[in-house]
Amino acid sequence: MRNPYLPIPVKVKKTFIESEDRMIKTLDLLFLNKEDKENFEFMPGQFCEISVWGKGEAPFGIASSPLEKDSLKFTVNRAGIVTTALHYLKENDELGLRGPLGNSYPIELFKGKSVVIVGGGFAFTTLRALTKYLLAWRKDFKGITIIYGARTPGMLLYKEELKEWERREDLKVYITVDKGDKNWQGLVGFVPTVVEKKAPSPEDAYAVICGPPIMIKFTLPKLLALGFSPERIYTSLEMRMKCGIGKCGRCNIGRFYVCKDGPVFNYAQLEKLPGEY
Amino acid sequence: MPEVERKIREEAKNLLVNKKVDFVIGFEEGTLPLRVSPVFIYKGDDTEKLIWNSFCENNLAVYLPEIGDKKVAVVAKGCDTRSIVALIVEGQIKREQIVVIGIPYQGMIDRRRIEKEVEGEILEVKEKNDEILIKGDVFEKVFKKEDYLYSSCKTCKHRNPVISDILIGEEIEERTQVDEYAEVNEYEKKSVDERWDYFNKEVNKCIRCYACRQACPMCYCEECFVDNSYPRWIGKGLDSSDLAVWHIIRAYHQAGRCVDCGSCERACPMEINLRFLTKKINKEVKNYFNFETGLDSATSPPLATFNVEDRQDFIDSGE
Amino acid sequence: MMKKISKKDMNRFIKSLLEDYTVYAPVNTDGIFSFKPIDNFQGIDPDYQNSKKPPKEIFFPQSETMFEYEKGKVTSAEKVSRKRILLGIRPCDAKANLLLDNVFAGEDYQDVYYINKRENTTIIGLGCRKPLSTCFCTSFGGGPFSKDGLDILLIDIGDKYIVDVVTDKGREILTNKFTEASEEELKLAEKIKREAEERIKSEVKIEGVKEKLDTMFESSFWDKLSERCLGCAVCTYLCPTCHCFDIDDEAKDSQGRRVRNWDSCMFPLFTLQASGHNPRPTGKERMRQRVMHKFNYFIENYKRAACAGCGRCILNCPVNIDIRKVLKEILTG
Repeated sequence: MRNPYLPIPVKVKKTFIESEDRMIKTLDLLFLNKEDKENFEFMPGQFCEISVWGKGEAPFGIASSPLEKDSLKFTVNRAGIVTTALHYLKENDELGLRGPLGNSYPIELFKGKSVVIVGGGFAFTTLRALTKYLLAWRKDFKGITIIYGARTPGMLLYKEELKEWERREDLKVYITVDKGDKNWQGLVGFVPTVVEKKAPSPEDAYAVICGPPIMIKFTLPKLLALGFSPERIYTSLEMRMKCGIGKCGRCNIGRFYVCKDGPVFNYAQLEKLPGEY
Repeated sequence: MPEVERKIREEAKNLLVNKKVDFVIGFEEGTLPLRVSPVFIYKGDDTEKLIWNSFCENNLAVYLPEIGDKKVAVVAKGCDTRSIVALIVEGQIKREQIVVIGIPYQGMIDRRRIEKEVEGEILEVKEKNDEILIKGDVFEKVFKKEDYLYSSCKTCKHRNPVISDILIGEEIEERTQVDEYAEVNEYEKKSVDERWDYFNKEVNKCIRCYACRQACPMCYCEECFVDNSYPRWIGKGLDSSDLAVWHIIRAYHQAGRCVDCGSCERACPMEINLRFLTKKINKEVKNYFNFETGLDSATSPPLATFNVEDRQDFIDSGE
Repeated sequence: MMKKISKKDMNRFIKSLLEDYTVYAPVNTDGIFSFKPIDNFQGIDPDYQNSKKPPKEIFFPQSETMFEYEKGKVTSAEKVSRKRILLGIRPCDAKANLLLDNVFAGEDYQDVYYINKRENTTIIGLGCRKPLSTCFCTSFGGGPFSKDGLDILLIDIGDKYIVDVVTDKGREILTNKFTEASEEELKLAEKIKREAEERIKSEVKIEGVKEKLDTMFESSFWDKLSERCLGCAVCTYLCPTCHCFDIDDEAKDSQGRRVRNWDSCMFPLFTLQASGHNPRPTGKERMRQRVMHKFNYFIENYKRAACAGCGRCILNCPVNIDIRKVLKEILTG
């Protein structure tokens, strides 16, 4: 019987500050044991519980796709004890990791269809994993559209990758900011407005939306108005989590545990659940 | 009692029907003998539910910091009214929002002591004058209320409400000859080791349910120190030192604020002697600052004020 | 298989077990019973009704070290050092353990700490001759002499126990002091059982509660119910089926331990997110969660309500919130 609470050893390969306010940092992690690396199979949408020895454990969405075999990428927003400790880590510092946990985006359903990815702020982490995966298997999908917004240009995550994606011909990328700066050439406006304006087609398409509750609150009606049906709109929910395996009881919405039965849900499922998230 | 009950219902109904208050906080019949339950009454007709007896042991002032901008009437015995004054002084409620239905009363019965005196489950209780009749399956016993008063009620010197908008019943003569610190003095006679052993034995019964904290009107902090993580003061488990620190700090945070109503002790499922430290601290506050909580709304609690004339002789100058 | 043993021989039997087992029995401290490891046994205290804290703590301790670590080097503390006997548990609590098994010993992830303790414990229950007025185990498919979740059930018939051996695990620990019970003795046991069952007056109708709750999420019922609730954790900590916990690191520098402690959905911090958002911001949402979890979500997941009718929450709630009344109001309100 494997003990699901024991972390496996990992270490920091490199760190990168994503945001201009320096509060969001990306960590690339390596497995210390070859066996652990080989046994670790995951799909975009899943998360891990990362332990900082001496501080505690916290859940983070995996930002890298399973095809990026080099390392596991996590983007961390500095908020409390564990995340602050993560921000102070350097190359080769050791950590613990439990995972992969939760369910993943239903990529099987997306095959042969178009995918519209809508992200806001630093909730874009697992959406990066999803995008990278879809792009690696590009022929399996029809149109791919990305709409991603942040407060300011400096707060966008994965800036280099965004530029790369914008250069590609085989996907539509719309990056927007709430407030531009003197160098910003791109769109200015809230994500819900951009979704409405760019009106991605719902025909044979799925949407995946991740962001702060306020963004989702205003973007969801726009997607529905465009003709996306609730069972074709997927999201990844945030919840306070501890065990990550559906036992400690705190992340439930109705009968489901966000850590175990989620965090990926579609809106048809959420409509049937109590509005407690 | 029937008279007091009748008056409470009448006054409550008046207040509601004439829209003087948004709701009334009082007591209703419990589902077990020896128990009552706090109740929130919004409609005049529902005031029939209100009761008053010697088991009305909760301090209803605990609900007041949460009333927002509502106007509320609250049924309160002596100690409860002192909590209300203390909450007003600490800015947690506004005087204009509260209608105090004050009830001078001899004190509440210690139901746990009664339970220990009988063999088997108590199924029925009847109060009559100064006696209570307890009935079980195979027993029937009569107790004199006076002999089974709750420990803080036994030595209480403030059995009359210190503020009230409506006073129900006649004022009682306050005790003057009783030594309310008799128990504390007994403990003080013991050696440090004996006191520490006793304290440790008690707090090691604790299950960190925080019933004591939640039942206390003065524990209204949005985030209690036990829940802080930055810095983390104590652990969340049953480590002996964590239990000791939890109770010591809780007692210290009560200094100059505790009215010794005993709600904490009565709420505690493990029957820990929670007044052990708070009563001692109350005594110290009385000695050093001549202050008792909640007696008047003009005086600030001693640990919340500073006077240039305050004693300093207990500060070690370090020479 | 029905055996019998005199109380004197029972005492000797338990004492003999102390050599190889850690024996947990109800211990009286200042009038409050709790299951503690004993080093001697003189019989079960005649005052014993039930323990204050539920015996779930034998399998799911309130505070448990999961593992210790020194940087990346982790030492797990999952194995028990000795086999155990749990003596004197009441049928309601034994049934409650089966409910907890759904959560901890489920199909998806195995909680090794809980499972290890469960597997290494032989459970000797004591039937209830005198259920309290607050007992309602029968409303949840249990009873004062129910055998669910027990390896052995003891029926006290005066100077001896009738010993109903339920499982092989129970059979394994018996000695030759356990002899065949006579026809008379069995008849007496039956009489005692019947009388006990008749004493249970509290009848809680559970049928239809889940369906009613399906429609009640937005109801103002929860505002009314949560008004008087103080927001402590007495009901959840004393409940034999509640299982929520917190995971915490207690460490200095990078050396320390990871501990699991009981937690309660009734606390405000339970669902507070790092962003500051709390899906259950007030007592109303938390009270609703408690009732819905026990009488709706748990039923949806495991086909059973998360309640054993032990009555501890009723007896210990500081403001006398009575779950029997709550369930009645849900059905009729």
